[in-house]
Amino acid sequence: METMFGIAVDGVAYGMILFIISVGLSVTLGLMRVVNLAHGAFAMVGGYVASYAAQSAGLPYGLALVAAVALTVLATLPLERLLYRRIYGSANELAQVLLTIGLTFVIVAGINYLFGPTLKRIPLPEMLTGTVQLGPKAIPTHRAFVIVAGAATLLGLWWLLERTDFGIRLRAAVDDPAMAAALGIRTERLYLATFALGTGLAALGGVLGAELLPLEPYYAIRYIVLFLAVVAVGGAGSIFGSAVAALALGIVDTAGKYLIPNFGEFFFYAALILILFRWPHGFFKGRTA
Amino acid sequence: MTSVAERDGKADRMAKPIPPVGRRDLGWLGIPLVAGVGLAAFWLLPDDLALLTRIAASALFVLSLDLVLGYGGIATLGQAAMFGTGAYAAGIVAVNWNNDPFVMLAAGGLAGGLIALATGALILHARGLTLLMLTIAVGQIVQEVANKARDWTGGSDGLSGIDPAPVLGLFRFDMFGRTSYLFALAVLVAGLLVARRIVRSPFGLACRGVKEDPLRISAIGGSPKSYLVALYGVAGVFAGVAGALTAVTSGIVGLDSAGFPWSAEALVMLVLGGTGRLYGAVIGTAAFMGIHHILAASDPFHWMGFIGLFLIGIVLFLPGGIASGVERLGGLLRRPAGKGEGGA
Amino acid sequence: MTKLLEVEGLSKNFGGLQVSSDISMTLNAGDRCALIGPNGAGKTTFVNLVTGVIPPSAGTIRLDGRDITKLPAAERVRLGLIRSFQVARLFKSMTVREHLELAVLQRDRRTFRLFASVARVAGLADEVAGLLDGMGLTHAAHTPVGSLAYGQQRLLEIALALAMKPKVLILDEPAAGVPHSESQRILDAIDRLPKDLAVLMIEHDMDLVFRFAKTIVVLAQGQLLCSGTAREIVADPRVREVYLGSRAHAH
Repeated sequence: METMFGIAVDGVAYGMILFIISVGLSVTLGLMRVVNLAHGAFAMVGGYVASYAAQSAGLPYGLALVAAVALTVLATLPLERLLYRRIYGSANELAQVLLTIGLTFVIVAGINYLFGPTLKRIPLPEMLTGTVQLGPKAIPTHRAFVIVAGAATLLGLWWLLERTDFGIRLRAAVDDPAMAAALGIRTERLYLATFALGTGLAALGGVLGAELLPLEPYYAIRYIVLFLAVVAVGGAGSIFGSAVAALALGIVDTAGKYLIPNFGEFFFYAALILILFRWPHGFFKGRTA
Repeated sequence: MTSVAERDGKADRMAKPIPPVGRRDLGWLGIPLVAGVGLAAFWLLPDDLALLTRIAASALFVLSLDLVLGYGGIATLGQAAMFGTGAYAAGIVAVNWNNDPFVMLAAGGLAGGLIALATGALILHARGLTLLMLTIAVGQIVQEVANKARDWTGGSDGLSGIDPAPVLGLFRFDMFGRTSYLFALAVLVAGLLVARRIVRSPFGLACRGVKEDPLRISAIGGSPKSYLVALYGVAGVFAGVAGALTAVTSGIVGLDSAGFPWSAEALVMLVLGGTGRLYGAVIGTAAFMGIHHILAASDPFHWMGFIGLFLIGIVLFLPGGIASGVERLGGLLRRPAGKGEGGA
Repeated sequence: MTKLLEVEGLSKNFGGLQVSSDISMTLNAGDRCALIGPNGAGKTTFVNLVTGVIPPSAGTIRLDGRDITKLPAAERVRLGLIRSFQVARLFKSMTVREHLELAVLQRDRRTFRLFASVARVAGLADEVAGLLDGMGLTHAAHTPVGSLAYGQQRLLEIALALAMKPKVLILDEPAAGVPHSESQRILDAIDRLPKDLAVLMIEHDMDLVFRFAKTIVVLAQGQLLCSGTAREIVADPRVREVYLGSRAHAH
């Protein structure tokens, strides 16, 4: 029972990280119809910035987090204007794959050049170390923090989409791009803002998840398949779908690693293939490119 | 202020009419040309035979990718799964039972084809991001299995001690690499001949239809998925043979032979050379590996950065690859001679 | 008279929206039937239901006596139910000849031959030559469809349909979008369709309808309004109301 609880907590925390990082990928796929294989690299950059800020510049955790998100978004905005804009749309699938893999490789090489190949940590503040009591059980504070952050992100996104102008325009443009343009929705600004949102969340997830997804230069390549899996299973463009998929995959992966340590990864990928074979469009009807 | 829908439509309308297959490969000239250049290289560059052998084996691998991507429209980042499976199959057969090079190639081809058919049936219902992700997942599974089955595969140390018998009992694999190279070149040329046959067959015709408009294929009574799975399987055989060829000529097989970076590199080489033309695979591989050799980048990260910049450059400046540049040049040269033909 | 197509009680609703209600009709061998109705009457939806592109909510479809209601679209094609598309839908990178070769090979289930050469498949060249000649497309045999005039594309669509040896042929506005100078060829081609074939044509152009159709079926708001000969339909007051009463403009 102890193990079950441990798996559940770790699985949910892991799932929350996957959600926070992947939701941006899902939304950019649903809106701009772009497969962004460099999304994992953005998460990685966020983590590295925070690590540098906290360790070398001595910033406290909170500030390092903010700096990471802000700087990552700022760095990627020009990429949106100069590169991504040229490859939006499902007719450009091959170009998207090539360009974003290329970008990923460049970022990986750059990170290695700047920071070296060793693992980087983000020192947690006092507050987040130790455990927190949840009734009879104790959860590591960091895990609890991550779970809360994930829930907050989900709620925040829900509010953004349902209750703000931006959200309404975003949903309209995802549902029916031609109509949205005809209604005068400024699609280019919408794309930029959505891209920034997605990247910012990726960076946030990269920082928060540094304990679960360790920061090293191959991060971007190693974990992109996980983020893609969340989007595929959850249905592109569906925020709720991403959340459910991320949690499901997080728990399945964690359970696999605990219970069948020798074949955990094999089990996870096989489960993925079978899930998508049975539900080709993911759990929730998204708009897969 | 164009929305994505408008952009999609524009992309369709702007697409120039693509010349039919007969004009996209070099016809009767292409394969003898490859053989000729290959033999010339043998005489002109006797000190670089190891590199040339790797180029030939890799070109066969990239050719397999051209079959699925260029002729079937299947975007995959997991073609290396079949390459790796073929390499390990060949190596295991050689180490344990039979080290005849042709048996090794057959084992590799069979293994690659079977893995491709089995996984293709499970994943080719998907498209786009989902399919990409599933192909990566298959590659991960193959790597995982190879890693765990240490007794057979050597695990993370790799499989070594592969010592192929003389070709046809006559030509020993000498230490200068001469037999290796000529063997690899012969297999590549044979592969090109077979691939060309397939592409011009009724099956090839149907696959081109599926690539362009799967619904239209249903409307004439065909099943798009059946064609795609069959094509994926055929390409798997090619990739498996390429992997086996690498095992034969280099004597070792490592985990990275099934990994995502190798799949991505194949994609780079194919796009560099030009998709959907068969000979583009050869050109792209030769160009890319040649550049790698000249730059002699020993640090894998530096090399990765270079590939990245390269990829971005290709997408921005030369989307059709070298082959399209050659064709355009050919078109320019032909025009003063007579009226321009529709297409190339 | 062989009943080639029997549709009974065909209905479709999307959520709460009833797009087709209880449509029944029969096509016999040699029939020439036109399906007409104002815009939004559900004609293309009906064709999509019959050909298997969308599944019905209720009703049955029989092709030459066999129940095909649950069969996938490609299977229905293989059994002889062929349609052409309202907007020409062809493989732009293939030549005219290649389209017909593919259709014939697919029909005869010879498409999984990996090592044969298309040029040397027995009987293929002759059959394709015949089809090309029948449509007057021989001179365009090696032209990629992307470079073909629209009228010729529509002719190719019909040739393609014939290549599949249909029992029932559904033509969705075969002359739509074709400039007048080229439409005569298409009309002639339709006149020359095999006599034992059952043909259902969706059309808006009344001249074409009267020239072609022995029977006419009128659809309005997803329901079968009435059916009969051209004379009966023209005289029927309900038809006049549905068309002329609403001032539907000519195409």
